Amino acid sequence: MSINYLSAKNLTLGYGNSIVIKNLALSLYDNKDYEVIGRNGAGKSTLLNFISNNFQGNKFDSKFEFKNLRILEISSEYTLIENLTLIENCLYLTKNSVSVDSVDKVLSDYGMNHFKEDLIQKFSSGMIKRSELAIAHLINPEILCIDEPLNYLDKDGSQLLIQLLEKRSNDTRSTILSSQESLNLFKSDYETINLNV
Amino acid sequence: MFNNYYIVKKEILGEYRNNTSLFIITPTMAVLVLVFPILSENRYIIDDNFFTITQLLFLIVFATLFSIRNPLSQKKLMRELNFGDIARKDFFISKTISEFVIFLPQAIILISLFSIFTNTGIQNHLIYFGISVIFFSVNSIMTNLFFQMFTSFESRFVQFILMVPILMSLSFLVAPIWLGINPNLTNIYLVMYLGITLLVFSFTNWFLQRDFK
Repeated sequence: MSINYLSAKNLTLGYGNSIVIKNLALSLYDNKDYEVIGRNGAGKSTLLNFISNNFQGNKFDSKFEFKNLRILEISSEYTLIENLTLIENCLYLTKNSVSVDSVDKVLSDYGMNHFKEDLIQKFSSGMIKRSELAIAHLINPEILCIDEPLNYLDKDGSQLLIQLLEKRSNDTRSTILSSQESLNLFKSDYETINLNV
Repeated sequence: MFNNYYIVKKEILGEYRNNTSLFIITPTMAVLVLVFPILSENRYIIDDNFFTITQLLFLIVFATLFSIRNPLSQKKLMRELNFGDIARKDFFISKTISEFVIFLPQAIILISLFSIFTNTGIQNHLIYFGISVIFFSVNSIMTNLFFQMFTSFESRFVQFILMVPILMSLSFLVAPIWLGINPNLTNIYLVMYLGITLLVFSFTNWFLQRDFK
């Protein structure tokens, strides 16, 4: 049975007095995958932040309802803690609920095992993105939001992302991607939320 | 049962690796403590009361430096807590514990160094002195956390300007205990300080743990 974890009829979001998204009708289900499409400044990141509870702007008089599901966002700004090593970040962000062996295995799958003892502040943007994907793999949240999924990823990194999406699809976990145009990553039946209109 | 050691561990590891942390501030303050008597009167032994007052001044500067060493960014913190599915309440309880673990020993080191270098003894009973240092630490930590979350300033200078008067007023309370007053009066001061500490602690806890979403 699917859960409607977010429903909004007139979602208006912005920063201060400036409105970024106006009167958007939204209804998200945990058994569907979505792609948010829009040009620069259309509000893709704002919407993803809102869905993942990371939005800190003005919600005006929007009426919406959230169901309590585990939503994880990989945004364009990284979340990992700079002065911790990769393995420490993995253990911290999984609340020590995952064994070191499992972390090692996943990091190895994502090609990051050699860097597990390195501080995040020494990582490149691509390495940070890979690490966040690996942690998302470990956590396996009910909903995963990825802002500009292909940013910073090389060919191998993109392949790893596709594998993650495939795994999530097999586990019937929902994914929300945002980009300027449809990416058709792994499959093409994403439900589209078009912010250009 | 407290099972959020991973947050305390993360905070302490972060402190250990933070270049602007107290591991830099304390030695710097210690050098100041060493140089100050030489600069002030060109000798080591000066009037005790004068040094106790100066010690308060050093503690104020120390506590302020502590407060502005690693500003919390609300935006980044929100992302971190959501990413790890860490409850705000758990985070701030652990944060308070780790700040205390970091602050208290360094405050004690600083006070001891001050006493050694300036050849000034403690003016009151050691237990009273210890309790007042603990109260001072708790108040400094909670004031620091409150200001960081309330103002969300990125500017350390603005934080510095706002924090100094508050830490000064907290120090004025501790001053009579350190300056060595009548034991009965010390008890009254300590009870007063306890009340203020409880008030600051409970208010800041309430403020930090409420849901901002």
